[in-house]
Amino acid sequence: MKKLLEKAAKVADQAEVYSVRQDSGSIEMRNGIPTDISASIQSGYALRILKNGMIGTAYTKNLLDRDQLVSNAMDSLKGEVEAGFSFPGAADLPDSAGADPGVEKMGFRELHTYADGVLEQLRGKVEGQIDVYAGRGVEEVSVVNTTGLDVCTRSSDMYLYASLLFPNTEASVHRLHIDRKAGAFPEGELDDLIALYKSGLPEVEVDSGRMKVMFMPDTLYTLLWRIGAATSGKSLYNRISPLQDKRGQRVLSEKFSYYGHANDPDNYEQRYFDDEGVPTRKHMVIDQGVFSGAILNLDYATKLGENPSGTGYRRDGEPVSALPSPYLAGGRIAPGKRSLAEMIREMDRGVIILGVLGAHSGNILNGDFSVGLNPGFYVENGEILGRVRDGMVAGNVYDVLQNVVAIENHLNTSLMGGKYPALLLDDVSVAAKK
Amino acid sequence: MLFEYLAEASHRSFSSWKRLYSIREGEPMLDRLGSMLEGVGAEFADIRYEIKRETLIGFTGRELRTIGTNTTDGYVVRVLKNGGFASATVTREEDVPRAIQLALEAAETITATGGKQTLLEDTPVITDTVVPYLDGDPASIPIEEKLRLTAHYNGLLLDQPEIETTNLSYREIGRQKSYVNTEGTAVSEEVVTTNIMGEVIARRGDLIQNIRIAIGGADGFNRLLDRDSEFIERGRLAGRLLDAEPVKGGSYDVVLSPMLAGVFTHEAFGHFSEADIIEDNPSLREKMALGSRLGSDVITIVADSTIPRQIGFYKYDDEGVEVKPVTLMDKGVLTGRLHSRRTAKAFGEAVTGHAVAEDMRYEPIIRMGTIYVEPSEKSFEQLLEELGDGLYLVDGKGGQTAGENFTFGAQYGFIVKKGKLGPMIRDINIMGNLFSTLSSIEAVGNDMELSERGGCGKGQLNIKSALGGPHVLVRDMVVGGV
Repeated sequence: MKKLLEKAAKVADQAEVYSVRQDSGSIEMRNGIPTDISASIQSGYALRILKNGMIGTAYTKNLLDRDQLVSNAMDSLKGEVEAGFSFPGAADLPDSAGADPGVEKMGFRELHTYADGVLEQLRGKVEGQIDVYAGRGVEEVSVVNTTGLDVCTRSSDMYLYASLLFPNTEASVHRLHIDRKAGAFPEGELDDLIALYKSGLPEVEVDSGRMKVMFMPDTLYTLLWRIGAATSGKSLYNRISPLQDKRGQRVLSEKFSYYGHANDPDNYEQRYFDDEGVPTRKHMVIDQGVFSGAILNLDYATKLGENPSGTGYRRDGEPVSALPSPYLAGGRIAPGKRSLAEMIREMDRGVIILGVLGAHSGNILNGDFSVGLNPGFYVENGEILGRVRDGMVAGNVYDVLQNVVAIENHLNTSLMGGKYPALLLDDVSVAAKK
Repeated sequence: MLFEYLAEASHRSFSSWKRLYSIREGEPMLDRLGSMLEGVGAEFADIRYEIKRETLIGFTGRELRTIGTNTTDGYVVRVLKNGGFASATVTREEDVPRAIQLALEAAETITATGGKQTLLEDTPVITDTVVPYLDGDPASIPIEEKLRLTAHYNGLLLDQPEIETTNLSYREIGRQKSYVNTEGTAVSEEVVTTNIMGEVIARRGDLIQNIRIAIGGADGFNRLLDRDSEFIERGRLAGRLLDAEPVKGGSYDVVLSPMLAGVFTHEAFGHFSEADIIEDNPSLREKMALGSRLGSDVITIVADSTIPRQIGFYKYDDEGVEVKPVTLMDKGVLTGRLHSRRTAKAFGEAVTGHAVAEDMRYEPIIRMGTIYVEPSEKSFEQLLEELGDGLYLVDGKGGQTAGENFTFGAQYGFIVKKGKLGPMIRDINIMGNLFSTLSSIEAVGNDMELSERGGCGKGQLNIKSALGGPHVLVRDMVVGGV
């Protein structure tokens, strides 16, 4: 990396090298037996150079020829893509927790033992098929630049995922446990999953209409994707955000706060710097309903005349080929005061969304969503009656998030990243086949 | 000056790609890969090496955001030992022995823990090198020309009424794949895709609407030329959507446009024709037995990646098997399935050559390639007349499948009353269930269209997932509305 940076420094005003190395393995156990095991060792390098207010970029996975990579970046530079920003200077950042030795050394047999342990706890307790997945990974990310930055973080994770399929279908309820260290599901989580499964066994037909809707943590990305698009520096700079010129104004229910906390010590993917080397911090996007902060990378921070927010990540595809763009890592919704059970009891009539289909479809920028329930449980008078047959939930985030009834008092790790509570909304459109 | 420099840069990038390949070619790559597998203690092993060359030019509005050409490479190893089948992927050549070791350990773990026992369907030993047919090899087109063309189309979009901005990219991906297995198969194939695609965004006050556009294919650069009218039309459509009404949620009879019929086919049925989706779910496997009636007798669905000049075209899959056309559903009856060597053996069905990986970071999984509904007899006007009251829905906006449930979005649509097109509608997503929806297809049109871009994300991105068909009339679909 350093040699590459030295070569780039000779031809540019500023240069930056981002590198990533990932070592991972996973096991799938479908219908009770190991069905697939795979391993992956991947690496990559991305180079950015700045010269005369222009930027050039290049990347490769296999650093065989440093001169060629520099040459590719110089070729890109001559495309005259403007860049008004500078790379950040040296930063005095805390040491990250590092990779857990147990996860680093973990072999396939040990991974299987964890997965099999989950299976043993579930076997014989549900009618349908049980699928269990387990995986481990170690990642090292480094950013060095010619303005003095030299940062590196090494992290690990191990996950267990249990999925209970409803009889004769692939529809399921599931639980994810993921942590920096190796470990089993917390006590009681799988029992809760079994109870949830049993409550959804009957299939029910529901009348279309407006009713209460509860988004469970794994489904909240449906709403947050749209808020993220609207509060991204890219949308604001290009004037295509519904929240244009609404900074400091209340745009959602005052019960709702949304922020990023990449450096949260409880975060298994804790990061003290983003993929541009900017230090991370707790970054409020929506504070008690008020649009308080945009999600910015270096480029859009400069274009909008704001300070960088530590939210520039290479997320759109493979890390080295993707350019840094605005992204809120360590996403959080501030928890409320009710337990999940209390929230369900408050539902006179409504749907609990446990999984969605089609969150990526629809007009994301405008805040519109229209998702299939996969599954969704129907509730009447505070009691789950079963899972909805062929149902959809639709709305616009700027409308439905005005009607927040209650927020769960606990943060749960989401399959899609981040930690969120369940969120109960009122007056949301549900369409179903009856 | 800029264009002159870029022309030179493009030539250098192309040379660097060839040079990288020659670095690997100290001895011929296929021989080199073969020697890496020597002495592997397994019944079967294979290795795939890929060089991926990507040219990207990206605009947001009138601002050029990125331009450049880059090259990456890597290896995928699979082994079959004592019935355990496992894989490992690595970037660097020096890590290949480690990849083989990991794959062996994984295969042994599967066997030792009572896991799935794998056998591979026998296939002919093949030695072949495939060079793609290209009408205008993009690697030899100066990047200045690619930039000029993309900027031109971008300008056409931006010039339409009420357009606020665009996200438009030229993306060219060349994969030089070399595959060797311990049975003696040694295949080299190059696949090249070129696209100009993105979205055009219209705005009026707080209301924002967008329309997607994509042109391209796997048969060269010249397909991208002379397409002005399509960009002008898409730009105007985005503006018109500002006056469209959100659809009201409920159950509707619908006519789907050819592209949307393709998305519907891909999501509602296509994924269930991929054997790896159902192989470990006994109840679904039973429901999907060949000979079962799943659809009405008007519907016939084919997967055919041998159709030349289509984006889904290839000759060999990523385990060295020649791809075959498959009639998946014939007049509503399930007649075929897409397979890898492993699933073909497990199902006792013919191998079809559909094990495809996104790139060198992944082991191959079963992918559709080109899937479409076969056209029939009805004109579009006849379909609208049969529809009576309902919706005409146009162009896909993404879809998703989970189990037997699926959703897909339409970019826009029209209310239909007594067979006549009425007001334009927006915000249309549809949900259905595989086992109830295909029998609701009432009529199939006599036209035909295939997509010019892929993008299916079944764990890995498949940029060669072509789809299409004629107009199709379906009864009683659940449409989510705002």
